[in-house]
Amino acid sequence: MVKEARYLYSVARTGHDAMLGSIGIEKNNVYIITYKDIAAIVHACDAKPYKTEDKKLAEGWVLEHSYVIDQATKMFGTVLPFSFDVIIKGNDDAVKDWLCRDYENLAGELIRVRGTAEYSIQIYCDHAYLENLVYSKNQELVDLKNSIEKGSKGKAYLLKRDLDMKLKNLTYSETSRLADRFCSEIKPLVKELKVSGRTSWTPEKYKGKKLLATYCCLVSDEAVKKLGEVLEEINCKEGFFVRFTGPWAPFSFVRLQETG
Amino acid sequence: MNPERESCLVEVLDRLLNKGAVLNADLIISVAGIPLIGVTLKAMIAGMETMLEYGIMEDWDKSSRELYASQETHIPLFPGEQVLYKAFGYLREDEGLIKCWVPGIWNITSQRIILWIKTPGKVLFETPLENLRVLRVPASHEVRKELELIYPEGRTRISLSERDEFEEALAGAAEATNAMKRSEICESGQLPYQI
Repeated sequence: MVKEARYLYSVARTGHDAMLGSIGIEKNNVYIITYKDIAAIVHACDAKPYKTEDKKLAEGWVLEHSYVIDQATKMFGTVLPFSFDVIIKGNDDAVKDWLCRDYENLAGELIRVRGTAEYSIQIYCDHAYLENLVYSKNQELVDLKNSIEKGSKGKAYLLKRDLDMKLKNLTYSETSRLADRFCSEIKPLVKELKVSGRTSWTPEKYKGKKLLATYCCLVSDEAVKKLGEVLEEINCKEGFFVRFTGPWAPFSFVRLQETG
Repeated sequence: MNPERESCLVEVLDRLLNKGAVLNADLIISVAGIPLIGVTLKAMIAGMETMLEYGIMEDWDKSSRELYASQETHIPLFPGEQVLYKAFGYLREDEGLIKCWVPGIWNITSQRIILWIKTPGKVLFETPLENLRVLRVPASHEVRKELELIYPEGRTRISLSERDEFEEALAGAAEATNAMKRSEICESGQLPYQI
């Protein structure tokens, strides 16, 4: 039976047809559909989304999708990675029509991300170090702590609440200040930067430490070494720990205009 | 330092499910114009508690937060009056036909005890700290942690799961605000203490 849809992994910069082999989701044959100098990396599928109740199976699909993006990057340089489960209705001609219609947009984005990759940076700080830093800058906290030790039980209870609240606010200001400082050191070395206060996962090594900031950066291949040096300096500072991961396809930086 | 490409499943999922390009709806398989970028899958993999973190329910979260924020009201305080302590608890309603425990937020301010309900913003009960006496009520069959407030106009029963902390805070408020000195707290709960 002819498959009436195409599962889309990514769009790459190449003008030559190629086969990537049976590396797709559920060992599907992955191939490319070209238009001028750009190409969609796809496999033929039924016109229905991948859905399952089986968590392990679903995770496997996502990893297979990720693997295809990595292989395509090795073959064609930086690609535009697509989200999981993006399926184009129609055959190869429908995909070609889409590439033709969106050519300016897609080719422009491929040029913008050429020679770059996405890197993720998390900076953690030791809690005790951070607390000492906050105390050293605020005599008021030290005074408050002393009065708690001297005060009666009831009064100490209220003062402790006051101290906790002040410490929380001042710690927050201090982490923001540090995050801004590190950001200003990183920014000149990257093409684009996104700051986030969260991370999707914390490795065991960093558990129990305070996450100061997560930076997602689009970095030119030649700037990666220098960025690594700057991060090494931060990592060597007392109380700070840097996690530097990548390269990834530019998942956080692809901007496709609405063409509907 | 060199970047590491750790193959962490969570990070791969985060990228593949929440980032990356998406197409306009007319080209891709869609239901009622909503692209099926694995929404069900995302929900399944991420699990309910991490859905907000993954951004799946962001719109819902934002709108509900806005709704709550629009309903946010503040306790009317006297000039110079400060809220010192807040805890969730109940007030015993014995008047009228229905006798029940009414929930709310107990506030100890520098001048009063107030039971406040957020929506609609309303003071259900208030009495000045001055001339207030507090009595521990022995555990009832409901095993509620109760206190009895005795004040010039009458007496009322309240209940808080954080009763010990509430008492500490009340004692602290009395000291901090130089209200009348309390007599000793009687652990047996038989003798009232006074603020």
